[in-house]
Amino acid sequence: MLLIRSVKIIDSRSPYNGQTKDILVENGKIAQIGDQLDAPNAEILTGDNWHISSGWVDMRVSSHDPGHEHKEDLTTACEAAAAGGFTEIAVLPNSQPALDSKNTLVYVKQKAADQLVAVHPIGAVTKGCEGKDFTEMIDLTQAGAVAFSDGVHAIQNTHIFLKSLQYLQQVNRVLMNRPEDFDLTVFGQMHEGEVSTLLGMRGIPSIAEELMIMRDLKLLEYVGIKSQTPLLHFSTISTANAVALIRQAKAQGLPVSCDIAAHQIAFEDSLLTDFDTHYKVNPPFRQQKDIDALWEGLADGTIDAVVSDHNPQDEEAKNLEFDLAEFGIIGLETAFGVLNTYNKTLSVEQIVDKFTHYPRTILRLPAHTISEGSLANLTLFNPDLEWVFSNTRSKSKNSPFFGQTLKGRALYVINRNKVEKCG
Amino acid sequence: MSQLSVRHLLGIKNLTESDIYSILDTAAQFKDVINRPIKKVPSLRDVTIANVFFENSTRTRLSFELAEKRLSADVVNFSASGSSVKKGETLLDTVNNILAMKVDMIVMRHSSPGAPHYLSQRIPANVVNAGDGTHEHPTQALLDAFSIREKIGDLAGKKIAIIGDILHSRVALSNIFCLIKLGAEVRVCGPTTLIPKYISSLGVQVSHNVKETLQWCDVANVLRIQLERLQVKYFPSLREYSLYFGINKKMLDELDHEILLMHPGPINRGVELTSDAADSRQSIILNQVENGVAVRMAVLYLLAQQ
Repeated sequence: MLLIRSVKIIDSRSPYNGQTKDILVENGKIAQIGDQLDAPNAEILTGDNWHISSGWVDMRVSSHDPGHEHKEDLTTACEAAAAGGFTEIAVLPNSQPALDSKNTLVYVKQKAADQLVAVHPIGAVTKGCEGKDFTEMIDLTQAGAVAFSDGVHAIQNTHIFLKSLQYLQQVNRVLMNRPEDFDLTVFGQMHEGEVSTLLGMRGIPSIAEELMIMRDLKLLEYVGIKSQTPLLHFSTISTANAVALIRQAKAQGLPVSCDIAAHQIAFEDSLLTDFDTHYKVNPPFRQQKDIDALWEGLADGTIDAVVSDHNPQDEEAKNLEFDLAEFGIIGLETAFGVLNTYNKTLSVEQIVDKFTHYPRTILRLPAHTISEGSLANLTLFNPDLEWVFSNTRSKSKNSPFFGQTLKGRALYVINRNKVEKCG
Repeated sequence: MSQLSVRHLLGIKNLTESDIYSILDTAAQFKDVINRPIKKVPSLRDVTIANVFFENSTRTRLSFELAEKRLSADVVNFSASGSSVKKGETLLDTVNNILAMKVDMIVMRHSSPGAPHYLSQRIPANVVNAGDGTHEHPTQALLDAFSIREKIGDLAGKKIAIIGDILHSRVALSNIFCLIKLGAEVRVCGPTTLIPKYISSLGVQVSHNVKETLQWCDVANVLRIQLERLQVKYFPSLREYSLYFGINKKMLDELDHEILLMHPGPINRGVELTSDAADSRQSIILNQVENGVAVRMAVLYLLAQQ
């Protein structure tokens, strides 16, 4: 039994939203919500300015398990997720082997079965995420795939994209694509612009992202199916025009959604003048006008969700010449803090929705509202707590946020009848 | 001789105008030295320099090596072929192994932009960038500036055209930084596909008309068409390039004023320059090579004082 005293409930779908209440958790469920609850045997959690929401969901995690367990494995990914306040994560299919067969999906689900954090595999669209042959998507859905994507590989082939979009309607799963036309980003290392010109580095132009979004939206329109839930989801968009295109598509009524990586709003391309590979990430850090547009998109709902895009890379993959280093940042433990620190316009409720309600809708996960009798899948947090990101539970340390003071952090996660202290 | 503001020569971008003049003035003195019967001075005696070349180079390596020897430095050479690089050793490990043998300075060529920056943040030796990918080639820009100044005086207000593959050229980038710092007007010229989209943000003019650019300029610095760096196609053929962007003697003769013709070498004769242009009176290509040794002596000498 667990009694959470005087906690402010942040849940736009709950009748208790905005109220400060006591919550009693018993046998993995919310037993009671009220004032001055009495539970003599309960462990008590309480503190200043504590907030509670349904458990946070990260839609985009690279666990590197199976295949590159020296960078991360499912256990450490779950530990890092819990430390960052997440109770559910969706893992990308870009492992080795890829999550393109029942076997690999079962492996992922079983390996993480005992964790507080629920791990949801994202099935590969094509075998090996190579963009050539379809996987058995109906069968993979049966085996637990919550969505389909080729992960870090944008789907280049138009036929494959179109047919996947059509095929997935049969199983009510979303197709997630990270928009990037690879023909335009060959050898690209960073945002194409004045800074890349100054550094003599090959650019990743904004147009490469926008062109693919335009293609995908046209095909979504062509498929012509009405749906209340998104059928197409763009992962980690990064440019002002990308936001505008998706805003327009939503206004048209197309069933589309999108997310950004939390770190995308923190940095500009000018930070790369020192060739620091901790800032090497794809999509790359762009410019202030893009960051401004992302905030507008977050505020008006064009951008549905925020992800960590947690991508652990070991020292050997990062402590290198810039163009030889891998892309990626670990983000599970900093995602909320980063978004909250740089935020100037969103309410706490809006931020929490980006980590809870919308990801669950897109991934077709059961909704969790804070109400009596519902499952206790909860994140306790303090949106105003200042803290320094100084250690990680991930196996890798590739983060530009080490040593930085962030505002807002998760305190406890509760799920599957377990409680863990964050951080 | 004055001091530099930097410990390493990573790029022209990191130099002040006064650094550049210090190097050019020092180089002028060393040029006198290397034209004497005894070409050697003892300035860098007991200084050990490693020339670490992860990319093929003949003239730059030779030029550095001569500069080092004329300053009486001890010189070791390391090149990627037949070395540990092929066995998968990291750059840092390779260089630290060399440094463990008590080397004071590293002259490095590498295919990755920023590789010398990376190294300079991690090792105690002075680092000289001898070309990092498509980023910078500072000693080339310095010797180009030296050569122009030697022939036509102060660079301020001079019109310098850089013609050819601007997109893949570290020579172009370093030249642009250097010439602008010295007050020259700079124009880049080449096929539309070989000009970086954002190049004008560096303060240069852009043209795609070679004839008109030659007429505009006081100096034409013609770049090698870097076939080895063109991993994807940017123009249809060398034939078409030479027909529409190549420079020949007739074009030089038709100008209403005499210009200087430069090239960082090695020349693709018949592609960017015809032989009659490369060997013409206007050409100072071999002067550049000679000045290269003096300029590199100046760089090494000044860095060793730091």
